[in-house]
Amino acid sequence: MSNFRIFAPLAIVMYIIVPFLFSGNDYLMGMIATALIIAGIALAWALLGNLGGMVSFGHAAFFGVGAYTSAVLTMDYNVPVFLAMIIAGFGASLASVFMMPALRLHGPYFALAILAYAHIFMILATEMTSITGGAAGLLSIPNLPVFMGFDFGTKLGGYIVILNIVSLALVVYHLIRRSTYGLALKAMHDSELATRIVGVPATQLKAIMLVVSAFITGCVGAFNAHFINFLDPEYAFSGEWTVIPIVAAIFGGYRTLSGPVLGALFIYLADQLVFKSLLPQGHQLILGALLGGMILLSPSGLLPIITNMFKRFSKKGDAQHVES
Amino acid sequence: MLKVKNLSLNFGGVKALQNVSFEVREQEVLGLVGPNGAGKTTSFNVFSGNVRPTSGEVTYDGHDILKSSMHKRVKFGIGRTFQIPQPMHELTVRENLMVSQRFGRPDKKVDQQRISEILDSVNLLHKSESDAATELALTERKALEVAKALATEPSLLMLDEVLAGLETTGKKLFMETLKKIRKQFNLSMIVIEHDIETISNLCDRIVVLNFGKVIAEGTPDETFRNPEVIRSYTGEENA
Ligand SMILES: Nc1ncnc2c1ncn2[C@@H]1O[C@H](COP(=O)(O)OP(=O)(O)OP(=O)(O)O)[C@@H](O)[C@H]1O
Ligand SMILES: [Mg+2]
Repeated sequence: MSNFRIFAPLAIVMYIIVPFLFSGNDYLMGMIATALIIAGIALAWALLGNLGGMVSFGHAAFFGVGAYTSAVLTMDYNVPVFLAMIIAGFGASLASVFMMPALRLHGPYFALAILAYAHIFMILATEMTSITGGAAGLLSIPNLPVFMGFDFGTKLGGYIVILNIVSLALVVYHLIRRSTYGLALKAMHDSELATRIVGVPATQLKAIMLVVSAFITGCVGAFNAHFINFLDPEYAFSGEWTVIPIVAAIFGGYRTLSGPVLGALFIYLADQLVFKSLLPQGHQLILGALLGGMILLSPSGLLPIITNMFKRFSKKGDAQHVES
Repeated sequence: MLKVKNLSLNFGGVKALQNVSFEVREQEVLGLVGPNGAGKTTSFNVFSGNVRPTSGEVTYDGHDILKSSMHKRVKFGIGRTFQIPQPMHELTVRENLMVSQRFGRPDKKVDQQRISEILDSVNLLHKSESDAATELALTERKALEVAKALATEPSLLMLDEVLAGLETTGKKLFMETLKKIRKQFNLSMIVIEHDIETISNLCDRIVVLNFGKVIAEGTPDETFRNPEVIRSYTGEENA
């Protein structure tokens, strides 16, 4: 199925129908915005996994570094919020540069190394009390601003900002994927040697992907800081910012463009709206079971199932056409 | 163009290469032969940068290449194939060659016309849009292996048993293809092959390895009449 056939309806739903139906409901808009935060990280994570074949357990580090960078810049240096969010992306990219030695490792070794790095950043945020406020955290982080006459500090405004961040990330991902670089990166997922032997500088390409992925995650983390106006190290660097996006990406199909976004929307909203009321304690268990089921049923995720459904429908249509 | 001097490589206790020296000349096809485990593939791995030797020198057109990364050596003009074909997964045959051109050619140009020419020269043009990892027969996988290397516009092409496993007619056809390619692309080649008839037919000169050592060197005729070479081969058959 072409990208267009998935993204056109998705864009209409997200940009028109959702704001039209729910803009009065702050609770729901806040929740969908949070689902999009997960979607943004899931997308950044999947970019690294799909293009280059790297499994990262360290995305919470980029999220946290982005969040703190933007919070500190706006609070202590009066940098405008949107500018600070972009600088936060670069801050997270810089953090990823320190992780580059791990790129020489493969598979689980890379995953574990990057997990360790992520933990170091949490410790740094706790210890650098004068800048980060230490374990007590930062309160009253500035809201998203009024910009061109529109107040982005509302739930609806926040939703539009994170939706734009995710959309931009999708465009960047798409452009990388269809370039020759993207072809080489896709091939590196299962056959790195085959690419190296024709001259692909595999480690450098992976490094670039790590920087891009960190940038996206950092911007998302910065957004979150201004969306909820509060940060502490345990929260900003929480493993949940790694685990839930991974679950979402794998559930939706991490080798596809839209899978991580659909997965995040489905997983987060189902969890908050349905599973939480069914099982107030331990509702994450249902997510675990769901992911397990999905991996058994369709290892490449939700998206192929949807695609097949579409195909079956259109095949039925064709068959009738022939008969009639 | 390729000069190998006193090359040695140990894998733990295994002496895979011991003081190996030889040379590949401009426009020459050199056969690299020897029994299983003699160190043929290991030699290729050293030249292409997959492994580092314990000691010795390898120069290409005067450059010391041992310090260069694998991908730099491709740009110097060294191309190779693998004994077990290594297609780029998830890409079509044509996309495999696009990546090879974009990253392997010194000018980094993707040239679709040229890709078609290369695919045509290895009889793979009709498979351009096939999935490289799943939709090719053995001969076609081997042809793709050669085509990928050609797409990087090498001056030296190293072929590791590209004819092995093919049946007689397939082998004959592929050999003719290789002869044609050599002329068409102005190549020097190193060819690893077990079949003596094939080697004699294809190569100008031969280097024989046994237990990591060069035991003979010369034209096909003189080499395969050399008693030590015959012994190393019959020794293998008895083993
Ligand atoms: N990565 C490695 N680690 C340890 N030992 C190795 C490695 N690669 C090769 N060897 C050993 O080095 C020796 C030479 O192996 P090589 O693959 O070069 O032989 P070959 O001449 O290509 O044989 P064949 O005709 O079977 O392909 C063998 O003893 C082999 O077991
Ligand atoms: Mg071999």
